[in-house]
Amino acid sequence: MSFLPAPLEPVRPGLLREVAPVTRLVVAVAWLAAAFVGVDPRVPAVLLMAAVVSLATLSGLPLRASVRRLAPLVLAAAGLALLTLVLHPTRTDPAAIVVVELGPLRITAAAASAALALALRLALIAVASLLVFGPSDPTTFADSLVQQWRVPDRFAYGTLAALRIAPYLAADWSSTRAVRRLRGIEARGPVGSLRVAGARLVALLVSAVRRGERMALAMDARGFDAGRRRTHFRPIRLGVRDAVVLAAGWAVAVVALVAGAWG
Amino acid sequence: MTAAIEARGFGWTYRGASAPALHGLDLVLDRGEMLLVLGPSGSGKSTLALALCGLVPHAIPGVLAGSLAVDGLDVATTPAPVLGDRVGLVFQDPAAGIVLGRVADEVAFGLENRGWSLERMRARVPEALALAGLEGFGERGTAALSGGEQQRLAIAGALAAEPATVVLDEPTANLDPPGMASVFARLADLVATRECAVVVIEHRLDAVLPFADRVLALDRTGGMLAMGTPDEVGERCATDLDRMGAWVPTAWRPFLVRHGRGVSRGAGPVPTPGAADALPAPDAVPAPGATLAPAAPAPVPVIARLDRASIADPTVAAGPGRRLLSDITLEVRAGERIALVGPNGAGKSTLLLAIAGIVRPADGTVRVAAGGRDGAAPAADPAHLRPADLADALALVFQEPELSFVASTVREEVAAGARPGPGRDATVLSLLDRFGLARYADGDPHALSRGEQRRLSVAAACVRPVRLQLLDEPTYGMDREATDEVVRLLDEARRDGAAQVLATHDPRLLPSCDRVVGLDTGRIVFDGSVAAFLAAPPYEPAGPWRLEAAGEGVVR
Repeated sequence: MSFLPAPLEPVRPGLLREVAPVTRLVVAVAWLAAAFVGVDPRVPAVLLMAAVVSLATLSGLPLRASVRRLAPLVLAAAGLALLTLVLHPTRTDPAAIVVVELGPLRITAAAASAALALALRLALIAVASLLVFGPSDPTTFADSLVQQWRVPDRFAYGTLAALRIAPYLAADWSSTRAVRRLRGIEARGPVGSLRVAGARLVALLVSAVRRGERMALAMDARGFDAGRRRTHFRPIRLGVRDAVVLAAGWAVAVVALVAGAWG
Repeated sequence: MTAAIEARGFGWTYRGASAPALHGLDLVLDRGEMLLVLGPSGSGKSTLALALCGLVPHAIPGVLAGSLAVDGLDVATTPAPVLGDRVGLVFQDPAAGIVLGRVADEVAFGLENRGWSLERMRARVPEALALAGLEGFGERGTAALSGGEQQRLAIAGALAAEPATVVLDEPTANLDPPGMASVFARLADLVATRECAVVVIEHRLDAVLPFADRVLALDRTGGMLAMGTPDEVGERCATDLDRMGAWVPTAWRPFLVRHGRGVSRGAGPVPTPGAADALPAPDAVPAPGATLAPAAPAPVPVIARLDRASIADPTVAAGPGRRLLSDITLEVRAGERIALVGPNGAGKSTLLLAIAGIVRPADGTVRVAAGGRDGAAPAADPAHLRPADLADALALVFQEPELSFVASTVREEVAAGARPGPGRDATVLSLLDRFGLARYADGDPHALSRGEQRRLSVAAACVRPVRLQLLDEPTYGMDREATDEVVRLLDEARRDGAAQVLATHDPRLLPSCDRVVGLDTGRIVFDGSVAAFLAAPPYEPAGPWRLEAAGEGVVR
């Protein structure tokens, strides 16, 4: 269990691996903003195409693993789009242009357009976040946030430390269930279930606090957050590549918006 | 040159405590010396570690006596971050303190925090890695390291900033014997460079004693029992340490004998009237229980049977993937105690969970005897038993006692697993009494000390008479007295016919067992008597498995 998409092991060189993580983040945010500002489905369509091409050519990420990572998200996007298609409010509007009518099923042009836009936007979110988080590990990401954006050390590296504890907590949560089963404790009825769930949460909290304390002690012991200026073992500098990626990324966003407005 | 550590009548009393945790400490340690600190639980060993890095007195309230200087700096007047630069700390559980994803970054973390320049860091990080025996590991992921490698990474991180002293608080409690040996060998190399002084706090002594230049022995009150070379301290106070319930290294056995007093009770796990009594030394006659395995069919009922069971790794998605356990075929019989051993990550905990039905086999079967004491053959699938029936069939003690608590008082904690009925309260009270927990009956389990928490989790697992007890590292980080207590309680249950499976890294427990099952990368690589295991441990390198077990566990 991890809150950030785990980095895939890059297999090839790629321009996106050479730029600062914040550069990728800025471009991705610009794309997502454009996709949600532009009403026409052509906007997310152009952006998604650009994202997929970047993933295939510039990210250095293994294609097969990327597809596997994206598959569940794309499926979820398709499911939501299908719901929109069938349940769109215009289905009962007698004035709406109808594309397909099969018994009770009535799909309007507006529904088709909305469903397509939704599917494209969700797919764009999935591919764009892989482009942001995939090419480098969380440590590099935190380094970049601190060095480029002056995000406080305590926040950036504290979050990293918390991410390291997360998988342990997932295991701890299953342990609290196993412990009760082994002790013959069975939840009876909805009230019993609530009580047991509450007790498990308390146990998890105690464990989280203890793990957090140990991590904090280990970080303190190495002089973290002692009020001194930190230096950086892996300096991340913005360069020509970042400028190129930034300019190209914004250009793509503008093109997408224009394509949407044009139609 | 200033001494790395200099204490004059140093003492510390925690706020609200009636007695000092540590008192009357006189000590001078130079760079290039390794000091071993030993003593029973509660003797102030960890307080000393906290004082050396400035957490005492700066972060923890209390009263200081005498003086303590680290690298010439008085701990009472020097700010904690400055002291922290002079002292590197290594903790018990290395995985709990790793922040970053890459090995080199993790080592550099402490240097970044201290504002080192990039050039100095680039020069120092490979040096620190080399000192810890991790040359060429710089670009590896920290998550993929073994337990021993993680602990050596923690050592590299601690000594990167060129401290005058490196303090290690039970650095090998989580490590298998070869991992432990690799850590101590590296520390010895480090001491030889004379870069810094090393202070090691340990319960597992045989492996570390050969490297120690000096030994500080503390007593139960936090007072100084002796300080000197290993032989001096051994001669002066081996017997006292033994009587206090501390572990005593094998090398000091002659001192026990010379004083003619230490023979009253073993310095190893308590000798049991049954199997272990017949095992005065590992190379002598095997225990009666051990002769049962594996060929001779015995008329003893089988309590659990695994037939070609395999457990898939849940972190690997679909497909054949890696197996946590492969092809496990095993029978556990009534009244026998099996030691489950193997390197870190060999699958010991997973096997216990599989026998308890918490994880299900992808292939093969797991069956346990269910249906109370007189239940028939092992026919029940533990994964499909109702919780009440499962609790009647077997008990499992987890490695982390805190996670296993289900109630808010010690009394309820034991009562929660008891069979409902009229005699329940009396049963619970008598159990608490036997485990020395009666006075905490209405207290919160989380407020107990670690040793007490462990006893409580064992007590909770004993409240229903079960035919199978599964224990994960039941003596983790305990001194000899606490270890003895747990073994004594297990002996009682075994005399009543319970089968026991103990996952452990501590070879000192082996002499109290009847049989050893050795795991390696998910497969059984050994199943036989304790004597046969100790004679030829199926691991590479085998030396460390032999060393400790042949030593401290069987001091008589």
